[in-house]
Amino acid sequence: MSGIDTRALDRELKRGSAELLILSLLDARPRHGYELSKLIHVRSGGQLTFHIDSLYPLLYRLEERGWIKGTWVEKPDERRRRFYKVTTEGRRVLAQQRRTWAAFVEAVRLVTGDERG
Amino acid sequence: MADGDDVRDDLVRAEARAYWRKEVRARLAALRLSPTREAEIVDELSQHLEDRYRELVASGASTEDATRMALGEFRSSNALAQAMSPLRQAHAPSPYTPGVSTGHLLSDLWQDLRYATRTFWKQPAFAFATVLTLALGIGATAAIFSVVYGVLLKPLPFHEPERLVSVRQYAPHGAGTNQGPATYFTYRENQRAFEAIGAWDPAEVAITGGGGDPERVQALSVSADTLSLLRVQPAVGRVFSAEDDMPGNPPRVILTHGYWQRRFGGAENVVGQSLVIDGEPVEVIGVLPSSFKFLRTRPEIVLPMPLDPNAPRGISFGFQALARLKPGITLPQANADVARMIPILPPVFARLELRPNVSPLADDVIGNVGEILWILLAAVGVVLLIACGNVANLFLVRAEGRHQEFAMRAALGASRGRIARGLLAESVVLALAGGAVGVALAQAATVLLRTIAPTELPRVDDISIDMTVLLFTMSVSVLSGVVFGLVAVLRFGSPSITALKEGGRSASDAPGRHRTRNALVVGQVALALTLLIVSGLMIRTFVAMRRVDPGFTRPEEVQTFVLAIPPGLISDEQEAARTHERVAERLAQVPGITSVGLSSSITMDGEDNGNPLEVEGATLPEGQMTPLRRFKSFAPGYFETMGNRLVAGRSVTWREIHEQRPVIVISETLAREYWKEPSRAIGKRVRAMQQGASWREIVGVVGDERDDGLNQPATAIVYWPMLNEHYRWRTMAYAVRSARAGTPGFLRELEQAVWSVDRNLPLASVQTLEEIQARSMAQTSFALVMLGIAASVALLIGVVGIYGVIAYAAAQRTREIGVRMALGAQTGDVRKMFLRHGLSLTGTGIVLGIGVAIVVTRVMSAFLFGVGPMDPMTYGVVSGALAAVALLATYLPARRASRVDPIVALRADV
Repeated sequence: MSGIDTRALDRELKRGSAELLILSLLDARPRHGYELSKLIHVRSGGQLTFHIDSLYPLLYRLEERGWIKGTWVEKPDERRRRFYKVTTEGRRVLAQQRRTWAAFVEAVRLVTGDERG
Repeated sequence: MADGDDVRDDLVRAEARAYWRKEVRARLAALRLSPTREAEIVDELSQHLEDRYRELVASGASTEDATRMALGEFRSSNALAQAMSPLRQAHAPSPYTPGVSTGHLLSDLWQDLRYATRTFWKQPAFAFATVLTLALGIGATAAIFSVVYGVLLKPLPFHEPERLVSVRQYAPHGAGTNQGPATYFTYRENQRAFEAIGAWDPAEVAITGGGGDPERVQALSVSADTLSLLRVQPAVGRVFSAEDDMPGNPPRVILTHGYWQRRFGGAENVVGQSLVIDGEPVEVIGVLPSSFKFLRTRPEIVLPMPLDPNAPRGISFGFQALARLKPGITLPQANADVARMIPILPPVFARLELRPNVSPLADDVIGNVGEILWILLAAVGVVLLIACGNVANLFLVRAEGRHQEFAMRAALGASRGRIARGLLAESVVLALAGGAVGVALAQAATVLLRTIAPTELPRVDDISIDMTVLLFTMSVSVLSGVVFGLVAVLRFGSPSITALKEGGRSASDAPGRHRTRNALVVGQVALALTLLIVSGLMIRTFVAMRRVDPGFTRPEEVQTFVLAIPPGLISDEQEAARTHERVAERLAQVPGITSVGLSSSITMDGEDNGNPLEVEGATLPEGQMTPLRRFKSFAPGYFETMGNRLVAGRSVTWREIHEQRPVIVISETLAREYWKEPSRAIGKRVRAMQQGASWREIVGVVGDERDDGLNQPATAIVYWPMLNEHYRWRTMAYAVRSARAGTPGFLRELEQAVWSVDRNLPLASVQTLEEIQARSMAQTSFALVMLGIAASVALLIGVVGIYGVIAYAAAQRTREIGVRMALGAQTGDVRKMFLRHGLSLTGTGIVLGIGVAIVVTRVMSAFLFGVGPMDPMTYGVVSGALAAVALLATYLPARRASRVDPIVALRADV
């Protein structure tokens, strides 16, 4: 990637899309916090990073709202981990947010669209 | 080798985990997470850091770099706390651990109170018993206090009431004297201590005109200064001015608010209208505010009191005076000022040897009811103490069950003060709950009290549960809570480790434990006995009073009423007397009437005058003051109608009255005072101590009237025939004896008889002699009822206390009973064991109570009549009754204890 100020991008986009990212990743299947942070980092090609002190507060906030639910899972020979999955209410919110985001993206594209195109 | 590596790896991992946890925990310190939640978050985030670290190490980073980069997951040392602080979980309420201080006194106290409330919510039976007991005690105290406050303590509803005084004199050997023109004007002209002195006198007038029956109303006559020194502002119009004080000026009247509404419908233009008062038209000049109350009178209208400063100033005391002290002048200084002025009075006053009696105006209102009210307050205070004793016992029992808990808390570091505070918080919560219920009880009781209160009780309208009473109740509640809580604190506030060791059982058998409870019960019995003895003495007083010969017989058959012939109606004195005679004759013709009589005052109707009397041939011993006697004017038939016997001589006739013969009748007490035998008084001569008074011959001696009340000595009375030159009265009280007295139809026939003589004579103060007598006993009956109630409640609570203690002791000693019975003790033996316990407690309490009663009854001996404060019969009967009731309260649990099955008793312990 050339020249994108990823830190600024992080901040701005995170504000608007953080919940959408988490919910959609958990929608696929339950995951724990470290897995989520790695996934986001990898899938965004390193553009998006969630630090530990913003990821977990976000997860706890979503949990307090009832959109996701965390459960301790203990596997043999392993430390227990907290896995999060999306709830029914969370799914409803995710669908809404996907629609809003798609509309937003489309609007931006329409405004900034290649006029030469 | 592999094992050793594993162990080393494990150690390293464990160390690393501890490190990550420490780092996470440090960043959560600023938040108020619950311990559980914090542990979870630490677990989760340290796991994340560990994963990151391992990933970095696996990708080739050194341990130092990996550590540094893992920690780089935190943007800053406080970012985590900042991001989490908006969340709910970051503000968990700290859990209450009893015994652990939060560091703030108020916060600790609040915690204790909440904990106490939660605890009692879970123990409803205990809470109910204690709250009810306390409610009875506190409620009774609050109710009586509302009476004490409303009647005695609340300031009078005037501006700066503490500076208002009544001005009187003492005349030794007679009633205290009021005011007459001589004293009044002398003081006004020469005084230095007062802003102003005002005169006043209650009166009764006839208002006629405007159609309808003539109306007799209560009135108040005042000089112009009276209302102004009280700072009374009229609601409409004006009050009297100096010119209204001048005799000869057109008479004016001020209406009270109630009368204005009633008679004039609250008309705005009432000023300038006129009323016909005692046959004369009088102009209305103003209306008083609805809040106006004048001492113990209830006037409908206010009239001026024109007094002529130039009239001759002889001995006469016919009205009252009040004054406002100048700022800075004290009561002793005011008395000194009056003492200075007494020698300035006309020389004829010298023989009365007057002394000043300037006293707070409030005393006039309160009268002598103060003492009895304070005694009642003390009585309910005793009831409250007894109730606290019961609750203290209950509390002790409960605290005993928790002594292990206290020991644990002490072991965990709670200070004695902390434990004590916890116990006191519990007791205060209970007491406040009891106080709240008590206020509701007091409210109901106050309504009842206002209804049964004697009419002599002043300021009954001021009795209510207001802010002062509520504050008092709250203070009493808190104080009670502290008192009975302290008992438990002193007993259990210093728990020892041994309590923990013994597992709770054997500590409960320690004899010292019983001592406090026993002492409480003994105290309760003593207090209850004292109250019962006081009530018993009051009952004896009441009975003795009823046995006193009042000076009349069969009062239920005597109808009385007052008839006034004002000068405006019939100006000639002779004609007025003849009119009275005609009325008496017409009344005698009404069917059912056996006798008619008239006098200026009926026995015990409240008339209270005192006049010096000179007896021919009798000289006063050196240094003795002239005694004052009660004067009444009367007409034939009075003594016969009242049922008062003639001890010697005869009464007078109408002819003697009309011819104004110099005859007179005196009462038995007066006759015996001078001549030992009443018959020796006949033919002797007496006269009033006034200029130009002529001698009168005693023609009769009549039995004593207890004019001042049944529990007072007989009054020395001088009976002047109507139309005498010194004691004239146009307003006469009629006594009519008939079996039909008090029935409504009878009253109408009396009215018709009176009106057949003159249409303009309204009957007033219609009441039977029985009602008058009941009123004179009213204060004693009231006190008796109240004390009786207090004593009964005290007895009930005390007996419940005894029962509780014995029953509890029996329950605690179940095992011991089982052992005894297994070893051969009979049920009778077991019963005797507990009976002995109960009776020894009761006996000690009774002995103690008798000692207390002896002291207390000394104090109230002024209220006793016909019975001494240490009357052995009362003491004996009451003690016996209390012992009997206590015996029953002891016997029931004793019997139950003796029925214990030894096998069950022994097994229960295993």
